[in-house]
Amino acid sequence: MTSVLFDTWYIVLRDLRARIRMPVFIFISLFQPILWLVLFTQIFKSLGNMSGLEGSSYLQFFAPGVIVMTVLFSSAFSGFATLMDMDAGVLAKMMATPVTRVSIITGRVIATVLTGIVQALIVFVVAAIMGVHVETGAPGVLLVLLLVALLGMGFAAFSNGMVLLLRRQETFMAVINLITMPLMFMSSMMMPPQLLPNWLDTVRQFNPVDYTIVGVRNLMLTGYVWSDLWKSLAVLCAFAAAMVAFGTMMFRTRAE
Amino acid sequence: MADTSVIATYKLTKVFSGDIRAVDGIDFEVNAGEIFAFLGPNGAGKTTTIKMLNTLLLPTSGTATVAGFDIVKNPAEVRRRVGYAAQDVGVDEHATGRENLTLYGHFYRLDSKTVKQRVKELFELVGLTGDENRMVSTYSGGMRKRLDLAMGLIHQPQVIFLDEPTTGLDPQTRVHLWDYINKLAKTMGVTIFLTTHYMEEADHLADRIAIIDLGKIMTIGTSDELKKSIGGDVVTLTPPVEKDEERQEFVRRAEEALSGRPFVAQTKPADGELAVYVKDGGAAIPAIMQTLGSQGIEVKTISMSRPSLDDVFLKYTGRTIRAQQGTPTTFVQLKRQQNRRRTR
Repeated sequence: MTSVLFDTWYIVLRDLRARIRMPVFIFISLFQPILWLVLFTQIFKSLGNMSGLEGSSYLQFFAPGVIVMTVLFSSAFSGFATLMDMDAGVLAKMMATPVTRVSIITGRVIATVLTGIVQALIVFVVAAIMGVHVETGAPGVLLVLLLVALLGMGFAAFSNGMVLLLRRQETFMAVINLITMPLMFMSSMMMPPQLLPNWLDTVRQFNPVDYTIVGVRNLMLTGYVWSDLWKSLAVLCAFAAAMVAFGTMMFRTRAE
Repeated sequence: MADTSVIATYKLTKVFSGDIRAVDGIDFEVNAGEIFAFLGPNGAGKTTTIKMLNTLLLPTSGTATVAGFDIVKNPAEVRRRVGYAAQDVGVDEHATGRENLTLYGHFYRLDSKTVKQRVKELFELVGLTGDENRMVSTYSGGMRKRLDLAMGLIHQPQVIFLDEPTTGLDPQTRVHLWDYINKLAKTMGVTIFLTTHYMEEADHLADRIAIIDLGKIMTIGTSDELKKSIGGDVVTLTPPVEKDEERQEFVRRAEEALSGRPFVAQTKPADGELAVYVKDGGAAIPAIMQTLGSQGIEVKTISMSRPSLDDVFLKYTGRTIRAQQGTPTTFVQLKRQQNRRRTR
């Protein structure tokens, strides 16, 4: 057990160090949320007066969605780095050492989650500068980070498991896009639930992304809605656990 | 298992889907401290063998002991005692040389002080002192390969597996790398198991060579023993014609004329030429000329050489290893390559 912790720690370090050294990566992490916040809120500005919209403006309504979206995408593509390692022979070389198999994926997932938390904080700062305020204050922000960390953990583990199933860059990218885009749209990210068509309102009940958005939005716009918050936490914990189980199983059985 | 053998295989076999016997029941032993080479063409089963011995692949049947432990029953113990440098260099481009090496030190549970010490020694050994803190993405191909070697040595393994250590390197870098491999065999006393399809490499580095083809070991011995097994000199006859059919015809007729003659030990056609194995080349050449002349077979060139490993390979497999590289890939080889990719 201690060896798993040690190995995980060294793999997290390696991953984070590589990320920090990519200037393009840092630039995109900063630039993308700004772009989304500005673009989307400009496009949908006139919806701000619509009845049923929580928050005082569309920006206020949409900011929680951008936080979730940022973490969703960065974690869903987490497996890409593993794919690069596979193609470069880095993974095979590691597997020939006594490194604990599980820590290769847990290390990658933890590094992805930590990155996601930093990215979420960046969106918070940008949103705050644009005038978004958080109803529940600093403790609320911590809870928001917990929610998106669970979502990120689930998707990062899923992504790394899928890489071992698919093994090819083209198919991996296509499948991840095929899964993440609908999950994003089949949620209350862009429209309040009561304005969604019935079928979409039903579908989103099965979407972990939506549980994250509902939780985050309540904390930012309304306050502590404990009944919803518990439900979101429970669903996300279950989702993360299932995906981590899937990912580690893939690493145990299919990584060579 | 003998006291001195570090690797011993027992009917080691790997069958891939589609009934491809990549490794077909091989038996061999590698002694402590020796450099042992698997020489064979692409698709012969070299990499598959290495991957079974270093526990990346499970054998279909048979087994092996490596550094005293069974690869099937006790893979974790084997991993602790072996190092591996794959055909693709497995170094992390987005880290410095020192970070790469240090990470592997931690994987082998060395304490920080030991890691620091070994990293210093290994950079010296592979001639990378001064480049420790540069990003690997700025390293040349030869430097990466040397770092890759060092990463396989950080835990002072009993055996290191080198899969095609110099493939893709320019000739100068290759010779340079041979020096390092020789040096580490001497200074660290590590047993080296390497695969190659370069004759010169096996000849230059290996104490003993196993010739492997289509998943089977054809023969094992020192370079000298293998060459002596040919039993004399090799006389090569080249036809005065260019077309394939005409060359085949020449080889057929010349072989017919020469086989069974007292001065000829064996004949082997190869790439539209004929290799004639003889006891004494100097005495055989006039006799060969006379025999061919009397049957009206014209020869363009006739050359004599001491046997090379290429001749040895030809004798045991019926093909030249050089021709292997040039010929179109066969279906079986393609299938093997696919399998290899799938299992990577």
